[in-house]
Amino acid sequence: MLTFLPMETVREDRPRSRVARRSSIGLIREAIREVRSRQRLVRYLVQADLTKKGANTLLGNVWWVLDPLLQMVVYVVFVTIVVGNRTEGYPLFIFSAILPWKWFTSSVGDGVTSVTSQEKIIKQVQFPKIVLPLAAVTGGIGSFAFGLIPLGALLVLFYASHISPWLVLIPVIAAVQYVFTLALVVFLSAANVFFRDIGNLSRHVLRLWFYLSPALYGAAQIEKVDAKGGIVATLFKLNPWTTLFESYRNVIFYGTAPLWSALAIVLIGSTLTLCLTTVFFKRVEPSFAKVL
Amino acid sequence: MSDEARRAPHAIDVQGLGVEYSLRFTRKTTIRDTFKNLTTRRDGPTHFWALRNVSFRVEHGDCLAVVGPNGAGKSTLLQVLAGIIQPTEGSIDVRGHISSLLTLGAGFDQDLSGRDNILLAGAFLGIEHADMQVRLPGIIEFADIGAFIDAPIRTYSSGMRARLGFSIATAVDPDVLLLDEVLGTGDEVFRAKSQARVQELMKAARGIVLVTHDMHWVTEFCNRAMLIEKGEVVALGTPGDIVRLHQEHSATAKVARDAELARILAGAAPARP
Repeated sequence: MLTFLPMETVREDRPRSRVARRSSIGLIREAIREVRSRQRLVRYLVQADLTKKGANTLLGNVWWVLDPLLQMVVYVVFVTIVVGNRTEGYPLFIFSAILPWKWFTSSVGDGVTSVTSQEKIIKQVQFPKIVLPLAAVTGGIGSFAFGLIPLGALLVLFYASHISPWLVLIPVIAAVQYVFTLALVVFLSAANVFFRDIGNLSRHVLRLWFYLSPALYGAAQIEKVDAKGGIVATLFKLNPWTTLFESYRNVIFYGTAPLWSALAIVLIGSTLTLCLTTVFFKRVEPSFAKVL
Repeated sequence: MSDEARRAPHAIDVQGLGVEYSLRFTRKTTIRDTFKNLTTRRDGPTHFWALRNVSFRVEHGDCLAVVGPNGAGKSTLLQVLAGIIQPTEGSIDVRGHISSLLTLGAGFDQDLSGRDNILLAGAFLGIEHADMQVRLPGIIEFADIGAFIDAPIRTYSSGMRARLGFSIATAVDPDVLLLDEVLGTGDEVFRAKSQARVQELMKAARGIVLVTHDMHWVTEFCNRAMLIEKGEVVALGTPGDIVRLHQEHSATAKVARDAELARILAGAAPARP
């Protein structure tokens, strides 16, 4: 039931008709070419996304600054008062995880519907659809960048002792996160065309993922639970968000180096996944207009 | 016009075109449905042909009107010509740069201004940014929407939206222009203006294909017409002949519908085919 039978075509081929199934490498090359030739379109889509998010609410971009701060307050109240955990500098500890996670969830949320929400234009103009998930994920960088403002304020006002030169590595970790997110979103945006409940499902999966990753607690907690390095510890290590959270926390909270080798593995894994999901996207792309 | 388009003997050549839709995936399919379908076999067709055995040619300077009843496959035909959906069988040869804002103005982003939407549409159509900047004033002037150009599209009337859409689609200097449901809402002045624009494009030897329910447009604007019913070409000829044939066919269909309606109103069960 889950077989897709897309019809491939090369635009330059004339006359157009059904063409034989093309190689995966060829599809990846084509996707790269499409993105490069449509940079302007990606930029417009990102701009449109940012204007809309900023202009539609009363406080506009102020929410981008307030949002992560308020969320931090909620978790701080919950964990220190209800659970009774009193780590020194816990607000900053949590904030270093909330910031990248908010970027991730908003990118996935926008990305899942990035193709289906452009239904009308897809039925009217032939253009490379791969720009849609790309623009959704790229637009998310805006909210992340704005989140760095309250982070800076927190550091300067309350946690000056945590400031270290390692902070300059935040963009490096963010770049790994970007590739990882893009790989996921390219797949989800295409799958959502065929199964409209992907968006619903992904929200719940994301929430579970958050609590299973060391966001509110450190990786040290897991070592207490599974000291012998059993299945829990192994699964925990395989979770890319363990690497990402711990790396962000190292440079922001502890003032130490990120987990270099683990980050490299996440980057390589994400790049390979991105290739796979791009091939999937390109294979099902020709049937978008028919299904939408 | 691009050199390549000028060298070609025709603007559009379609041979034995067929488009088949699968009914397995529709816009409302969910994972849950798919599991349900795995366990219960549904009866009925899983595929249908939206178009079958369609062959025609559009020469340079032709304006071809496609007419037919609702659901005949007219819009599908335009989508295949634009390269939005792929043919299941047969071949299509469209020369040069295609402009295909099919349903005028339906693809606009409601929250963006008219100006931003023009630039966005240009980017979707794959037109160079610098090129678009040059054309921008002309597009705004032709659409004639005044100060609204910097207001969000959601504040526009349907007429303004259609005017802006037509203005963009025809201003981008296409070799082949595809228009769906042209100007149901245009006022007299804009109608005259757009007629002039279409004739200009015809004189410049562009190929135009338009789908419309407005028979005046067919006879006034086009030099050829094609009648499609149930996905197949019924007739191809001069606009006058085709319009007459189409009107005869719709009159027959209307008689049948009226009879059906009378039966239902009389309380009888509809006749089984």
